[in-house]
Amino acid sequence: MSQVSAFRVDVLEGARIAVFSLKANRLRTVLTTLGIGIGVATLLAIVGIIQGLNTSFHNQLATFGANTMYVSKFPWMIKGDWWKYRNRKNFTLDQLHRLRTLAPFVTAMSPAVSRISDVAHGGEQLSTVRVQGVTHEYLNISGYELTGGRFLTEADDATTRPVAVVGADVVDGLFPGVSPVGQSIRIDNRSFQVVGTLSRKGKMVGQSMDLLVFIPFKTFYSSFGKGRGFEIAMAVEDASRMRSAEDQLTGILRRVRSTPPGAEDDFSINRPEAMAQTYEQLTGALYGVAVGVGLITLLVGGIGIMNIMLVSVRERTREIGVRRALGARKRTIVFQFLMEASSVSAVGGLLGTTVGLGTAKVVSLITPLAADVQPMTVVAGVGFAALVGLLFGIWPAARAANLDPVEALRYE
Amino acid sequence: MSEASGAGPLIQVENITRVFHVGGEEVRALRGVSFGINRGEWVAIIGQSGSGKSTMMNVLGCLDTPSSGRYMLNGKDVSRMSDDELAVIRNVEIGFIFQTFQLLPRETALANVELPLVYRGLGTRERRERAKAALDKVQLTHRMHHRPNELSGGQRQRVAIARALVSEPSMLLADEPTGNLDSATGEEIVRLFEQLHQAGHTLVLVTHEPKLAARCPRAIRLSDGEIVADGDGRTVAMGTATDVLNAGGA
Repeated sequence: MSQVSAFRVDVLEGARIAVFSLKANRLRTVLTTLGIGIGVATLLAIVGIIQGLNTSFHNQLATFGANTMYVSKFPWMIKGDWWKYRNRKNFTLDQLHRLRTLAPFVTAMSPAVSRISDVAHGGEQLSTVRVQGVTHEYLNISGYELTGGRFLTEADDATTRPVAVVGADVVDGLFPGVSPVGQSIRIDNRSFQVVGTLSRKGKMVGQSMDLLVFIPFKTFYSSFGKGRGFEIAMAVEDASRMRSAEDQLTGILRRVRSTPPGAEDDFSINRPEAMAQTYEQLTGALYGVAVGVGLITLLVGGIGIMNIMLVSVRERTREIGVRRALGARKRTIVFQFLMEASSVSAVGGLLGTTVGLGTAKVVSLITPLAADVQPMTVVAGVGFAALVGLLFGIWPAARAANLDPVEALRYE
Repeated sequence: MSEASGAGPLIQVENITRVFHVGGEEVRALRGVSFGINRGEWVAIIGQSGSGKSTMMNVLGCLDTPSSGRYMLNGKDVSRMSDDELAVIRNVEIGFIFQTFQLLPRETALANVELPLVYRGLGTRERRERAKAALDKVQLTHRMHHRPNELSGGQRQRVAIARALVSEPSMLLADEPTGNLDSATGEEIVRLFEQLHQAGHTLVLVTHEPKLAARCPRAIRLSDGEIVADGDGRTVAMGTATDVLNAGGA
């Protein structure tokens, strides 16, 4: 018998016996499979959800534009003492104008202030709508596009006109089947006229980016009070030189705000791109923990496989003896049990993949979290499960193959 | 059949010993055993329990290797072969028949008979044809799709004999083949052996039953790991000729 055909016998006969034995012990197979399945399901569900989060986050960040910066007294990600940031002085419009003249590399600049309001039209009302007071240049910074009407103008701001540009969710919610331009809406019971509509941006970290209304900056202050500070949104010329722009801007801002030399900056320059890094650090840690949990579950499943394989070897001691007597080599016996172990695990992996993907899908349907499972994740899930089975099957298989045929035939 | 190939004895055992180490103690199961068996012979190896006959059978069946001495089987020295080589020898040269039949319980009679051919690497069709032919020799083709638990004891042993025949081995090695059968069924199996003997097969039968050994043309009696008698089956079996050493083998 040649080496090749010997190998063929090992694999074919191993696979045939494996399937046979799995069928013969259906309940046991299913139970063993569950352990591995749960591990794979946990792993895939968590990985799917995190991948989904990352994908949507990055997609959304992209719509912000790589060349934008947002200056505020608060950083976007607060580390440490919130009161330290709270106690910084607010920006003033005077500072904004000086900034404008001192920073020629800034191509667009707008103050931005916001509140969450109820917005109504006729009998319809939307709550938790983000209302932002901005100026005419904000459109170029924000990444939105106009789908109808016009954006806010300098004149709107100068004369504090009660006009509004509304996001796609507001259009859908308040004006089903009707053109909103020219209609009036009430923002916290103040009347505004809709002059334009915005393109849809979708969701970011589960929050709609389209449930918003832009009104002129000065109108915002006159309508809702001047108490709150604003941030300064800006776009710079060259997206590839954000770091140097940020450095220059820091110097200018310190001058404008008369920060004493040696003192800490009393403002924060926020960049969407920098936020992505912080975000990745955060989800990276989460990812690690989740994968760890999944791996531990797989380990437990693997020990389950090993246990059941040891039982299987013991049960079939005589069968092993018979096969050895009839000409099966040790390797053939090893293959037989490895095949059995890895096919149980692969079935578990498949089951787990289905359940895991299902869970991720359900989570994405009933919560704002978007699940995104890449094909490689599925392949890796099933493959990894089979590998776990293979690894944990080695010891039982070796035990089976090393049985003394004489003893095995005599085993009761 | 391989009966025709080569001259000299099929089996030549020279001064074989087998020592086991049990709990620090040496147990000498075989203490220098020598004999030869020619092609076409039907030989019983007889002895009480503890006589070494089971060890002898394991060595002859290449399931065990001797501690010293030489075992030539069909012209090959199998006493120093590796585990894998012995597996091939078992597959090609030996057809086992066990007291407890040793059929795989979940497989059909046909699949059981096919098994040695699986390990020989034959294709499905050839396996099936040869297995059917072997089952035909033991008149069991009508039961070939049944599992062992659907067969009577005698039928099971006939399936086992078919399994031993299917690989066309140099010798059939039977271990107490009638031990688990009632006397009528046992007789049926012995008749089958007689037929196989007449057809030219080499048969080695290990038993403690003098009545069974008496049916064989030749018998070798073991006691305490040594040959105490070797000669005509009836004479050796009845224990009346303890001094006929070499009488039959020469």
